[in-house]
Amino acid sequence: MAAAPFKQYRSPESSQEVVELLTRYGEAAVLLAGGTFLHGLAARGLMSKMEALISLQKAGLDYVKPQGGSLTIGAMATFRELLDASPVKGRPELGAIADALEYPPPQILNAATVGGSTASAYPLFDLPVALIALGGAVVAQGPGGRREIKLEQFFLDYFRHALGKGEFLAEVIVPKLPDRSASAFLKLETNANDLALLNVGVRVTIDEEGLCRGAVVAFGGGIGGVPVRAATCETYLEGSRLSAKLLDESAQAVTHDVHPISDHRASARYRATAAKVLARRALIRALARLGLEFG
Amino acid sequence: MKQVINLELNGERYEVAVAPHATLLEVMRRELGLVGAKKGCDTGGCGCCTVLVDDRAVYSCMTYAMTLEGKKITTIEGLARDGKLDPLQQAFIEAGAVQCGYCTCGMIMAAKAFLLNSRSPTEAQIRQAIAGNLCRCTGYRKIVEAIGLAAR
Amino acid sequence: MSELSVVGQRVRSPDAYDKVTGGKGFPVNVRLPGMLHGKLLRSPYAHARIVRIDTAKAEKLPGVKAVLTPSAVPQIKYHSVFFAPNLDPGMVRDMLILSDTVRFAGEPVAAVAATELEIAEEALELIDVEYDVLPAVFDPGEAMRPGAPQIWEHAPNNVAVNLSFGFGDVEQGFKQADYVFENTYQTQRVHTCYMEPRVCVVDSDRQGDLTVWSSTQHIFGLQEKLAFALGLPISKVRVVKPRYIGGGFGGKLDLGYIEPVCALLSLKSGRPVRIEQTRYEDFITTARHPVKVQLRTGVKKDGTFTARYAKSILETGAHATHGAVVLPVHGLMGFLLTYRCPDVKWEGCAVYTNNMIGGGFRGYGGPQGAFAVESQIDEICEELKLDPIAFRLKNAHREADPHPFNPNFTLSTYRLDECLKRGAQEFEWSKRQSAGSGSGTKKRGIGFACQPLWVSGCVGFPGIYEHSGAIVKLNVDGTADLSIATVDMGCGQNAVLSQIVAEELGVSADAVRIAYADTQTVPFDAPTHASRVTYSAGNAVKVAAGSARKRLLEVASQLFGASPDDLEVVNGRVRLKGSRAKEIPIAEVVELAGAPALTLGLEGNQRTPIADKGTILGTSSLAPASNPSPATAEFVEVEVDTETGEVRPLRALFAHDIGRVISPLGAEGQVEGGFQQGMGFALMENLVFDSETGSCLAGDFLNYKIPTAIEMPGEIKSLFIESNEPSGPFGAKALAEPCLIVPAPAIANAIYNAIGVRVRELPITPEKILAALGKL
Repeated sequence: MAAAPFKQYRSPESSQEVVELLTRYGEAAVLLAGGTFLHGLAARGLMSKMEALISLQKAGLDYVKPQGGSLTIGAMATFRELLDASPVKGRPELGAIADALEYPPPQILNAATVGGSTASAYPLFDLPVALIALGGAVVAQGPGGRREIKLEQFFLDYFRHALGKGEFLAEVIVPKLPDRSASAFLKLETNANDLALLNVGVRVTIDEEGLCRGAVVAFGGGIGGVPVRAATCETYLEGSRLSAKLLDESAQAVTHDVHPISDHRASARYRATAAKVLARRALIRALARLGLEFG
Repeated sequence: MKQVINLELNGERYEVAVAPHATLLEVMRRELGLVGAKKGCDTGGCGCCTVLVDDRAVYSCMTYAMTLEGKKITTIEGLARDGKLDPLQQAFIEAGAVQCGYCTCGMIMAAKAFLLNSRSPTEAQIRQAIAGNLCRCTGYRKIVEAIGLAAR
Repeated sequence: MSELSVVGQRVRSPDAYDKVTGGKGFPVNVRLPGMLHGKLLRSPYAHARIVRIDTAKAEKLPGVKAVLTPSAVPQIKYHSVFFAPNLDPGMVRDMLILSDTVRFAGEPVAAVAATELEIAEEALELIDVEYDVLPAVFDPGEAMRPGAPQIWEHAPNNVAVNLSFGFGDVEQGFKQADYVFENTYQTQRVHTCYMEPRVCVVDSDRQGDLTVWSSTQHIFGLQEKLAFALGLPISKVRVVKPRYIGGGFGGKLDLGYIEPVCALLSLKSGRPVRIEQTRYEDFITTARHPVKVQLRTGVKKDGTFTARYAKSILETGAHATHGAVVLPVHGLMGFLLTYRCPDVKWEGCAVYTNNMIGGGFRGYGGPQGAFAVESQIDEICEELKLDPIAFRLKNAHREADPHPFNPNFTLSTYRLDECLKRGAQEFEWSKRQSAGSGSGTKKRGIGFACQPLWVSGCVGFPGIYEHSGAIVKLNVDGTADLSIATVDMGCGQNAVLSQIVAEELGVSADAVRIAYADTQTVPFDAPTHASRVTYSAGNAVKVAAGSARKRLLEVASQLFGASPDDLEVVNGRVRLKGSRAKEIPIAEVVELAGAPALTLGLEGNQRTPIADKGTILGTSSLAPASNPSPATAEFVEVEVDTETGEVRPLRALFAHDIGRVISPLGAEGQVEGGFQQGMGFALMENLVFDSETGSCLAGDFLNYKIPTAIEMPGEIKSLFIESNEPSGPFGAKALAEPCLIVPAPAIANAIYNAIGVRVRELPITPEKILAALGKL
């Protein structure tokens, strides 16, 4: 089925111009990044008629820039470009990104963008959950200039985010993580081209003594409108000496914070049970990247 | 409002008027008479519409035509050269990887993109390369075999 | 049997070249000058009466050329199933092209044709429909309860069809049993997922004659059903045979809403009209019927069946259509006749609900039966500590037994025993561990299942078309044209039929070309369904080719001065039997037969050596002689993640007695593709509807999951146990459907072997595994 008709197609050539167009059209415009999500909505008849389709293609946002230990990713960088970027390969702390990008089929890797998948504010997507585990933030650019928003504050509900009027998501930033950090991501899916029934991104940092000095465990998939942090589990880990038993106990604790939904794909009970397994396995996977074997 | 754009498909230039929301698949099938890419779902779920944009596999059903100016698009119609089939096309025939054939063109294009960057792939890599393409007839085994054959 | 040169060879599909270079021959590509685009307006309610439809605004929209509402279409009740005659009393005629009562969410209420698709879509939004919403029921159990909403006046308690079959005295049989087992099994609604959407183009001329292009499994069925629904004689409807279609699997075996709507829109506008369904529309058009099977089985200590009883409740959805035939096929082939047993009884009913209409799907009632029967046999064996292979062999039919379905036939070839024994050996069945005995979180198990009896067509079923016909015409370049109505939907029909013709004529497979055809130019053929083409249509093309060859030899005999009986054709050349002294290419014989009687040359007039001029051809139209049963066993190994419940099939081996294998490459493809569909049925596919509104929740490939190359096992072996079926073309029987029937019970049994718990409801999702393990 044809997509919702847009009267105009605009392809601004700078971020400034994007903001100008957004300010001019307001609610009557939609941004086009990779198009995979947008077309999915349109083809299902879920989009109302719009004045303008504003493509970010020529706005100069397709970069992946390592800066010091951090990573700045332009909104239009595709999954493929992120995956192929040299920092992502082989760095234990960025393992969650590489893991998350193992799942999509090539056609999605080549088209879907980091900015698009984030700005969609769809909790069933994978990459945002991996980015939350890494403490990621977005750079919003708008009439008032640029501001950084932590991803956890960025997502408000299904398809709702914290961008204001005239603002758009220009960049995603992955901050420099402490030494001896590692991350991992895992997903439950039914086939290889699926939205997550449940997914988890984890990041752990250990000190020279082998004590955990920081942990993030974040869930997406069928867990409600926004990705959630398993804070109790994180607290359990922080400051503790890691062991198989501790990983197991901390994974059990995810049920305090993760309250999955029931839908036609799985029940809340199943997701809650699987969440514990996924958390433990993801932690083991991350720690293995630091040479610590608990599996 | 339709806008006139230039598309480069299989080495030929096409001047075509497209609506802002028109997908490459629709433009090819409806305006250009290129029917090798098939519509199987229109939501990026089946892969029958796979083509190459700058040598990368994409779903043409969710690629907006307006974004393709200056890009090199390759479809199944552009694979055979001077009447000689691409090794992938030949391998699909030889291995019996074609049944109803509706997924075939998309499958071959996904494989083509993959083999451009992969010389001696493992079976697992081949399977990942076609993970975005559904087939309901073959069980994929002969398709995987055909891609392996073509790689050699 | 003499040596075969084409049959049994790994020949390439005759359509493959075209398909790898763009596949222009699909009906989805048909476009005509001046063609309009049609769209259906579908009801958002699952059960409602239409009070009023206002199309005035839509009709005024520029570009709209025709609009249809229920009051503007013929109100002739029909059944949509291609292979059964219109007035067959076993069918239920409850379909209308457009009705003023809708009975499932998505049932069409109006239609539009416009110059552009987008205009047609916009026009739909301008149609104003007032509905009187009626109470709806979505569960067959609830639908049968007193007080449930009545969906049809003709069906009290919403029971569309009620049937019972049996022999012996089943109660007496249970008295003789040492043990009686009772279990209930439930299967879900699954979709065929043909990749090419249902699509049609209908053109009309000024006399109201219709020409139809459609992605269909049966051109004659479409002609017959469409003409009936429109109230036209069949001579007014011509259906063009597609060169091939993008899959069907039973999902294109009935008249859709789109063909009659397109026909009426074309008649009204005077222009060709095309409708292509969206994937969502396809998902709510056809699906396998969910069946609940209650089994009661009596066995002796040694595992001999003494009595078998089953009750099946099949959900047919809003209309009876295929449900009226799937039900008896399920009862007979899926249960009653599978194994030997003196006292057997089956009762079943097809129940209306306000869900989508059930349709045809490869296996046609068999998979639902096999899941129940083959699961329960393993449960019995586990309980009684019996060997499941020996159990089945003890109760299996044997070669030369009377055919269980039709005593006029015998099981002339039947090798289930060999399938099981050789399959078990190759799969290393003897290494199987006891159930659930593995350690670790990921546990492996192996299992198998059989489909002991199936069909090579539906010979003997009442009210089902079965005959086939063909024309084989020889050309002056030595090639042959095969004209036949059989549609190749991806199962290799074109390859198999070409090979049979080639073998019979003595030419190579690529010398046989499948001709363009339509309902006017070729004899009737029953649909591409019921695993029947190789056997039934195969016999018809063999006879037609044989008749062409006979004529060829008669003509050639005049060149050899010998009796036709003393001649043979080898590699496209005619010669005296066993002699290479003189060989005349077929091309020359055909040319001489068609050349003018007198040729004028420089050396004067010459009379050609052949006196009786004419095209060399052969024709046939015949019903198959018998219904030889293939026999099937499949072995599967799975790995179960006992923490997440995920199941991965690791390898499969399929042992199948299909008579002679005509086309090995195609046959393996059937097995491997059948496993994909069977595995999806076993583990993930589920066409779910909202239990409150009846709207489809799985109308795209994000929500309806089928296995990709990643989930499929790397190893799927085909072990063909070749027999030489005397009634089959070159000894062939049937293959297609059992390939999908056996995987689900085989996987269920393998899962049991891995983890020691039994799931009796499909699909066996990770969630059901964890629940069965007591982990939820």
